[in-house]
Amino acid sequence: MNAAAWTCLLLPLASTVLITLGGTRISRRLAGYISTATTMGAFVAAVVAFVQLLGKDADDRIHLTTSWTWLSAGPYHFGFTLLTDQLSVVMMLVVAGVGSLIVAYSVGYMDGDDEERRYFAYMSLFVFSMLLLVQGGNLLLLLAGWGMVGLSSYLLIGYHQDRPSAVAAAKKAFVMNAFGDATMALALFLLIAHTGKLGYADVFALSPHGGTVANLIALGLLGGAVAKSAQLPLHTWLPDAMEGPTPVSALIHAATMVTAGVYLIVRCHPLFENAYVIEDLAAGLGAATLLMAGLIALVQTDIKRVIAYSTMSQIGYMFVGAGLGAYPNGMFHLMTHAFFKALLFMAAGLAIHAVVGEQDIRKLAGIGKLMPFTKIVFLIGSLALVGVFPFAGFFSKDSILAAALAHGWYGDVIFAAGIVGTFLTGVYAFRLFFIVFTGEPSAFAREHFHAHHGKEGPLSMRWTVGVLAALSVIGGFLQFAPFWHPLSTWLEPVAAPIAEPSNAQEWLASGVALAVGLSGVWLAWAIYSANRIKAPAPVKLFERKFYWDELYDLAWYRSSDLVTRGLSTIVERPLIAGSMSAVSGAFGLGSRELSVAQNGLVRTYALALASGLAVLTVVFLAAR
Amino acid sequence: MSWLSTILIFLPVAGAIVVAALPLPRYWVGSLASLISLVEVGVWITSATKFDFGSSALQFDQRQSWVSDLNISYHVGQYAFSVWLVGLTTVVMAACVIYGWWVGRERPRAYFALMLMTTGAVVGVFTAQDLLLFYAFFEAMLIPLYILIGVWGGADRLRATLTFVIYTVVGSLLMLASIVAYGLQQGTFDLTKIGPSSSTWIFLGFVAAFVIKSPLFPFHGWLPITYRESPPEISAVLSGIVSKAGLYGLLRIAIPKFPEVVADWRVALLVLASISLVYGSLLAWRAPDFRGVVLYSSLAQSGLIVIGLLANNDLGFDGAVLQMVNHALMSSSLFLLAGMVERRTSTGEFALLGGMARGRPALATVMMTVGIISLAVPLSTSFAGEFLILAGVFQQQWAWAVVGATGIVLAAMYMLRAISAVLHQDVGSAVPDSALDLRGGELAVVVPLVLCLIGLSAYPNLISGHAFGANKAIVQVSSDTTKLSDATCTKSANGGACQTVMSYAIGPALNIDEPAAWTRYAP
Amino acid sequence: MRGPDIQWYVILSAILFSVGALGVMLRRSPLIILLSVEIMLNSANLLLIAFSRLHGREDGQIFAISVMAVAASEVVVGLGMIVALGRRNIDLDVDKLRTLRG
Repeated sequence: MNAAAWTCLLLPLASTVLITLGGTRISRRLAGYISTATTMGAFVAAVVAFVQLLGKDADDRIHLTTSWTWLSAGPYHFGFTLLTDQLSVVMMLVVAGVGSLIVAYSVGYMDGDDEERRYFAYMSLFVFSMLLLVQGGNLLLLLAGWGMVGLSSYLLIGYHQDRPSAVAAAKKAFVMNAFGDATMALALFLLIAHTGKLGYADVFALSPHGGTVANLIALGLLGGAVAKSAQLPLHTWLPDAMEGPTPVSALIHAATMVTAGVYLIVRCHPLFENAYVIEDLAAGLGAATLLMAGLIALVQTDIKRVIAYSTMSQIGYMFVGAGLGAYPNGMFHLMTHAFFKALLFMAAGLAIHAVVGEQDIRKLAGIGKLMPFTKIVFLIGSLALVGVFPFAGFFSKDSILAAALAHGWYGDVIFAAGIVGTFLTGVYAFRLFFIVFTGEPSAFAREHFHAHHGKEGPLSMRWTVGVLAALSVIGGFLQFAPFWHPLSTWLEPVAAPIAEPSNAQEWLASGVALAVGLSGVWLAWAIYSANRIKAPAPVKLFERKFYWDELYDLAWYRSSDLVTRGLSTIVERPLIAGSMSAVSGAFGLGSRELSVAQNGLVRTYALALASGLAVLTVVFLAAR
Repeated sequence: MSWLSTILIFLPVAGAIVVAALPLPRYWVGSLASLISLVEVGVWITSATKFDFGSSALQFDQRQSWVSDLNISYHVGQYAFSVWLVGLTTVVMAACVIYGWWVGRERPRAYFALMLMTTGAVVGVFTAQDLLLFYAFFEAMLIPLYILIGVWGGADRLRATLTFVIYTVVGSLLMLASIVAYGLQQGTFDLTKIGPSSSTWIFLGFVAAFVIKSPLFPFHGWLPITYRESPPEISAVLSGIVSKAGLYGLLRIAIPKFPEVVADWRVALLVLASISLVYGSLLAWRAPDFRGVVLYSSLAQSGLIVIGLLANNDLGFDGAVLQMVNHALMSSSLFLLAGMVERRTSTGEFALLGGMARGRPALATVMMTVGIISLAVPLSTSFAGEFLILAGVFQQQWAWAVVGATGIVLAAMYMLRAISAVLHQDVGSAVPDSALDLRGGELAVVVPLVLCLIGLSAYPNLISGHAFGANKAIVQVSSDTTKLSDATCTKSANGGACQTVMSYAIGPALNIDEPAAWTRYAP
Repeated sequence: MRGPDIQWYVILSAILFSVGALGVMLRRSPLIILLSVEIMLNSANLLLIAFSRLHGREDGQIFAISVMAVAASEVVVGLGMIVALGRRNIDLDVDKLRTLRG
């Protein structure tokens, strides 16, 4: 158990160190192979850990292993502890599994790039960080992994260092995540002040139930989750993050890092259950995000940005699930989403790779005719996204909506939002599919398309996409709520759901969602494929992304800039100049005043002598 | 009676005399000086392995009475945190001496002699256990630095030296007055025997010197010009080592010896420290050159460490010591890197730099690593220090932790801006294509510092758990929960929270088993 | 002791001292100031010798001889400076000789 957990964690780190120290001594392709091999090794280790857990009883599946005390101060001790339990092993499998597929894909995608070694070093660093996050045995290590994935995300988004837009996007992502780190740190300080510990079991047992402190703790954790998962209001970094290479978008901004927020809520669910107001807030934010993102996705013209907003929207669903207490459902959607979202990004990557890196859907239009394999896998991904039976999304998304129905009037509002969101998903997903992958190829596409040795892309790209397509088809059958639910049973000891929808609610949710989704698909088909309905003009509000970027620019960047400039002019410069001139001025003044007594006249000196003598005489006589 | 502390102080001084006297050519002078510095590091490592970190008593101590009427003596010794401070001194100075050797400074004999003298003097500051001896070393530390800045500095070095001199001397003289008054009042100048005092003026005299040296807002007027005009390795010494002397003074003298006054002034000092943190971070964000970013971030980090010292609990003190070591390593690496960039481009201005990462993987990797650790990315040692400090001050009063948390975001902003401006985007106009990657000598200077940082990131407990010894008295307890340690906790008059006591530092006047007697000192 | 009582010597000495002091403070010519300093010195001498006579011991007289020696040396220096000033045709006015001002 320990060996498997440590192997899983350390293999990717070893890869990073090896590639960094190797430098130009190892070839670029070799760097890619090292990275892929170690990530696959991590996956194997995760499978081993899973199998070992399977062999144990249901209540004996939580294993903590502490290797050394990482930090201590007086009576507080924080160890470097790894946790292997049902929840963490699910995340390990997803991260390492999907991660190894994407790293393998990158070998083909990044082939020929000058800085390929740096890319693979960063990718391995990311896998290590994400595994640390999910395997961390106490909240401090969770925060450590949290920050490190933010760092890896910064490094990978800013991979194209010579592009100012990429560098700016990387900084924006990091700073927003740093804000989330800060709120999480404050929550941890509260926990230390009130319980003196940061280990999961201790914290869950000792933290207060209800009240301001519990609310603040949950709010701090939620702040971190919202920043990491790009939910309202800390979502503006995600679309800009598309500046990174496509596999990065697939791995970090679809499958794993952005789902860390959901993992956090599920992992710390006792803390959130102590503060049900915050849980409801999480669900509400998720619902608002999924609507807003869906609306914005309708008008985007960059293929990756559409998928990015789709990710934002789908994570909104996961937040709804976690916020309503349907933890296994949220985790299930996390898993299936990893499959089909990575698939969508990687299929888009196949298209982008084949058409000289172009990402505009108007220029890529009709490429499906030239790339049939890509068209099919993209279709599979889109169907899974919309939640059409029997693809993966159907089983996972609808169970979340069912849980919403079981939550009273607030849940009903969220259910309505979710249904509208499903409709929008249908529309934007198939808008994308129909524009890019059906119809006649555009002039640009025809001119710039180049096949890779007669195939649509390198082998490494095609087989990994194929595997994900297969998973998107069959992955959903892992859990079909009314009939069989092994995942819920597996997760029950660590994440017992508090929302239990009835079978009727399940069927209702599934039926309505399916119908609504298909109607969205029909609408997209009618507008973009069959041209029966004219495409409406894009709404300015959606195109400007609801003006959030402008708001933040004004509220944070410009105001900080103003304050700093003010401080610099009004405080710093006078302070520095003034302090020195004050000192020299004071001494000069003193000197000038005192030198009046040295007027060069003998008689003044004589007078001084005489009067001094007189005073001293009086003093001595008086002191007698 | 152990000679180890004295050896650590006077080995570099002896080395300085040898270096100044021998008529060797430049290369051999530098290598001799580097050898002496490395031997000093070796002696420190030996002393650290011999040190018993479980006990909170003074170790390696040596006392030689000097003026017995006034109880002034040559008394040196080390506590656990002193070991780490001496360690950071020797390591950073070794790196700077080797850098000076590699770069090739004019008048090498004088230069290396002065550098080695500084080493000895600073180690003396950290190990002195007598107030006048402390003062002597405090001043002795500065004289070589004046000369080093004034002779080997940049274009405006004379103004920088003058500013530095005036600021420091004002503080030192106030401290001297306090020392004399305190020593005479208590009847002894020995720090291990001197009792606590409740005089505000004496306290303020000490604090004046230490907040000028650390520095804290608004006494940092000497900071920008001095750090910009010094040679890079001297800036590294100033920010890494000399500023720690001020913080050490707060830790060793000002806070433990004046418990009542500190309690009254805690809020005011926390305000100053918090302002330093936020103000320094904001100005670093908008600084136009690389050195500007590093110097203002030093101001911010000093503020953070002082926040930790004033948190009045285990978390704060351990975090502060850890962060002192971290900051020394980080800021010295950053200043050395700034120097390396300046050698290649003759400027540090961001407007003229950029794109240096292309074709220079070593520079990019090292600078990126140091930068990322400097912004306290979670899992790094600087994050560990910051976390402890803010967790500690949170228990004092949550508002300070919130202000400190904004420091986390601001640090990300300024550090990333600085790194990107140098390494990324278009190649700057001052960056010649022929500028080389980091050479072997430069790597030999900066990579060990980075490795120390990475090692500490894996095991920050090396310092945080071994800074104060085992039987330190308590920890701040929040008012409505039971105490978390089994040491004595004294309640204040209004039945509120407990007060931290640093028993080792107060001296034998304290008897913890008599809470009634102790409450004289607990406000 | 034969002759006037001691108080007359003291009074005379006091008068001489004041005359000398006023002369130093109020006169402008350095020569006159030097003269006034001599008067002050002599008044002190007078007092020393008078008391020595009163107590019948010779300490005062010996001290008076030392004072005379010092006075003579200082007059030499002072007169030398005044002669030097005169030779350079500088105004012998103490209010105008202010080069040593601070």
